[in-house]
Amino acid sequence: MGDSVVHALDGVGLTIQSGEFVSITGPSGSGKSTLMHIVGCLDRPTSGALQLGDKVISAMSDKQLAQVRNREIGFVFQTFNLINRTTALDNVTVPLIYTRRSYAKKTAEAALERVGLGARGRHKPSELSGGECQRVAIARAIVNNPKLILADEPTGNLDSRTGKQIMRIFHELHDSGITILLVTHEMDVAVQANRTIHMLDGKIVQDIAVDQSYREQIIEAVKATEMHLHREEGPFPPPDDERATAALQHERRGASARTTDLAE
Amino acid sequence: MFFLRIMRMAIKGLQTNLLRSLLATLGVIIGVGAVVAAVSILEGSQRDILEQFESLGADQVIVVNGQRQHGGRAVSVNSLLPEDADAIRREHEKIITATVPQFQGAGQIKYFQKNTGAAVLGTTEDYDEVNSYLVAQGRFITREDVRGNAMVTVLGYGVAEKLFGSLPAVGKNVKINGKSFSVIGVMEERGTLGFIEVDNQVIVPLTTAMDRLFGARYLTMLVVRASGTDKVPETIDAVRQTLRAEHRLKPGEEEDFQIFTQEMIKQQFGQFAAIFAVVFYSIAGISMVVGGIGIMNIMTVSVTERTREIGVRIAVGARRFDILRQFLIEAAIISFLGGGLGVACGWAMANLLSSVTQVLEIYTPPMAIVVALLMAIAVGIVSGIYPAIRAARLDPVEALRYE
Repeated sequence: MGDSVVHALDGVGLTIQSGEFVSITGPSGSGKSTLMHIVGCLDRPTSGALQLGDKVISAMSDKQLAQVRNREIGFVFQTFNLINRTTALDNVTVPLIYTRRSYAKKTAEAALERVGLGARGRHKPSELSGGECQRVAIARAIVNNPKLILADEPTGNLDSRTGKQIMRIFHELHDSGITILLVTHEMDVAVQANRTIHMLDGKIVQDIAVDQSYREQIIEAVKATEMHLHREEGPFPPPDDERATAALQHERRGASARTTDLAE
Repeated sequence: MFFLRIMRMAIKGLQTNLLRSLLATLGVIIGVGAVVAAVSILEGSQRDILEQFESLGADQVIVVNGQRQHGGRAVSVNSLLPEDADAIRREHEKIITATVPQFQGAGQIKYFQKNTGAAVLGTTEDYDEVNSYLVAQGRFITREDVRGNAMVTVLGYGVAEKLFGSLPAVGKNVKINGKSFSVIGVMEERGTLGFIEVDNQVIVPLTTAMDRLFGARYLTMLVVRASGTDKVPETIDAVRQTLRAEHRLKPGEEEDFQIFTQEMIKQQFGQFAAIFAVVFYSIAGISMVVGGIGIMNIMTVSVTERTREIGVRIAVGARRFDILRQFLIEAAIISFLGGGLGVACGWAMANLLSSVTQVLEIYTPPMAIVVALLMAIAVGIVSGIYPAIRAARLDPVEALRYE
């Protein structure tokens, strides 16, 4: 570390229109997380510029970045990242605290209501299922009415049925006009977006609009593979079974790339 | 409002690890407890003792027998004679209004079947007035009683109570150490006077005490009253001059008597109190440092444990300063709680000591509690700085990925 500069992102030029639903796929180390962190104002690019609406993010101070994260961006993580010792409602309230303005308790309750957890606000994350936790996290992301939601593998820790419920919420949010940028390695999740971007070694290698026929084609393929796996080898493919993993799961083994090397 | 929310958040943060946090503040608890206990005892006994000396009067100069170094030990040297009192009075009439020689002994006081132990004070007719300690019934001893070695006594309030109850005592005869005395008066209820429990004392003429009861040659104490508080220094010089002459001390020879005033005793006590305070405050200081390290340790652990939480907070819009402040407030609250417990422990400790020893008076000044709590908060903030800076400096991207 430190000897050489690793380009986690290299010459990425990307414009996302307001109201788009974009998914990003790519193997580990392809730079999709780094892209998310930079778009989410958590990390600064060593060179290059980022613009969010009419704001030039790359020229902003740390203080201004905090405000952008607070008011214009909502984060959803694979591991939910809730604060375990406080209630669901308190978790949703956290972004409100950092607005530094007075807020109504109702705002947080309304956000929970919106993800269908109105009655579960007093529960702690440990008392909630994985799907419920992720919904609390989504409520937290939308509580300040952001323009953009960044979701990093939001269904990665959930079973497929719960994953579908979560995706339904993302669709609803998208329908209400929020721009969504979603990182995933599940193809059937990725094709639910209107546009899917595939990254490799810090570069965008594919950027396509998803139409209905492509979507159905991929979903069919996923189903077929799953059926095949269940019939032939049981639910879990053996680790050396390249055939099962090649098309659908880009990353299952590889070590995670150190995107922070970008900063050096 | 924003600050209140941060406070609320910090308190919630502490709830989960309350026991652990309080254990970490053990040093603060002990430190604050030591301060509060020490201050309570010091203040209490200071008040108690000063009250005693106040009752002596600021215009009094007290002379007691001297001490001499003898084979490395301080040996008391009896030297005060009843004549010294007369000489001092005679030679310095302008600045001295009274001299009250005193001889103190112990006696068994008996009235028929009733019997009580009491202090026996032999003194002269000026004793009551000089001390503003007056008779309630009958009369006080007179110059004639003293001159004539009269077998008369004035009973302290408590002694009269024990022997006679509600019956009149004046005119009755009591036995002091087997010798018969006529009761001429009963003193008012007073409690203590200059450390002596005068309610449990009987007063007889000085001459009677020294010649007939105890066969003593030397006085226990000689109280000299100056004509005013401003004349006290002059009086001290006068007393010293007369006594040196009376005792035939050569120039430069060590004095065989000691002179005290209320002021001097107060100062001496003040010095003692200061030493006591330094010792206790040092213990408290060391405990506070230990407590501070404990808090620093626990906060560092807390920051590490909550790395992801910090990442999330930054991701949803917390500034670095918000994170810093959150952990500082948490540290301050922990040590404030420790301080509160310390105050309670210290107060309980002081009161326990007081009730066990039955001697010490306890007084806890409210200011001491405020200062102790502020000190605790300060320790918390100072020891919270390092962990809080660590928390604020976390890279959010790394923090969110932290396992």
